[in-house]
Amino acid sequence: MSEHHISTDKTLLGVGGALLVLTILTAVVHYAHLPQPWSIIAAMFIAVLKASLVAMFFMNLFWDKRFNAMLLVSSVVFFLLLIGFTLLDTLFRLPPTPAF
Amino acid sequence: MANHSSSTSHSRFLQHHFVDAEQQFDAAKMGMWIFLVTEILFFGGLFAAYIVYRMLYPELFSMAAEELNVLWGTVNTVVLIGSSLTVAMAIKSAQKNQVKNIAINLGITLLLACIFMVIKYFEWEHKFHLGIFPGEAYSFEGIDHPKASIFFSLYYLMTGLHGIHVLIGMGLMIWLLKRSLQGDFNSEYYTPVEITGLYWHLVDIIWIFLYPLFYLIH
Repeated sequence: MSEHHISTDKTLLGVGGALLVLTILTAVVHYAHLPQPWSIIAAMFIAVLKASLVAMFFMNLFWDKRFNAMLLVSSVVFFLLLIGFTLLDTLFRLPPTPAF
Repeated sequence: MANHSSSTSHSRFLQHHFVDAEQQFDAAKMGMWIFLVTEILFFGGLFAAYIVYRMLYPELFSMAAEELNVLWGTVNTVVLIGSSLTVAMAIKSAQKNQVKNIAINLGITLLLACIFMVIKYFEWEHKFHLGIFPGEAYSFEGIDHPKASIFFSLYYLMTGLHGIHVLIGMGLMIWLLKRSLQGDFNSEYYTPVEITGLYWHLVDIIWIFLYPLFYLIH
């Protein structure tokens, strides 16, 4: 199985270090108390960045067969469809049911 | 058959219905990815519930999140990232035939998973002490909001389901550790380490989202 990509220590430790820095960064941004829409946008942006690093370099999708990456992307697409259609309902209920 | 069995690099774990070890490895890995897709959609239902309730009661989420300890949430994030790193190191060790390092890295991963669960236990224990229970059992008076229990029901469901995944992961790590000490894994065969690693990284990714969604709200 010589054609499997073998990550170097440098890559793995670099990605681990980047994840650590981004974790500290997201906590710092939290304490900076950005105005409302921006604090959640910043937190989610950093979370997506961290998740992408894990998926690409720890889960090896960057070097792997594209099919596996396609599976991951398709699950995200269906997740967004789930949220999208749910919000089309719950955001436009007038008036919201009291017991909901 | 004589011709077949004399071919090179035959792992004793190669099952006869696969052409070669490479095909077996790829099939196992793709199977794991398909399982991970179902896991993402499984958690996705809870994330959708979270989004709906946060949009309905944004003020509740900022009030209730005060009860969560940002420091312990951050420590647990670092612990899980560290455990993902050691799993990746275990796979690298297997690929490089450094058989001893597989077990060492898996052992550290197991230890970090234990630390994560111990911290989680003390966080939950503290909330139970205050009367913060999920659903109807909620009896905490400290949050002035009629729907306060909704936040904590989501908190317990999502961190609880994640915690169950960590516990299952710990069981898998013990199994991998045992097998690696038996000398089952090397550069020719490490499929169980690889696909358990994928599972463990997904559990890490889910926590990467739970951390800002519950701890970092103001």
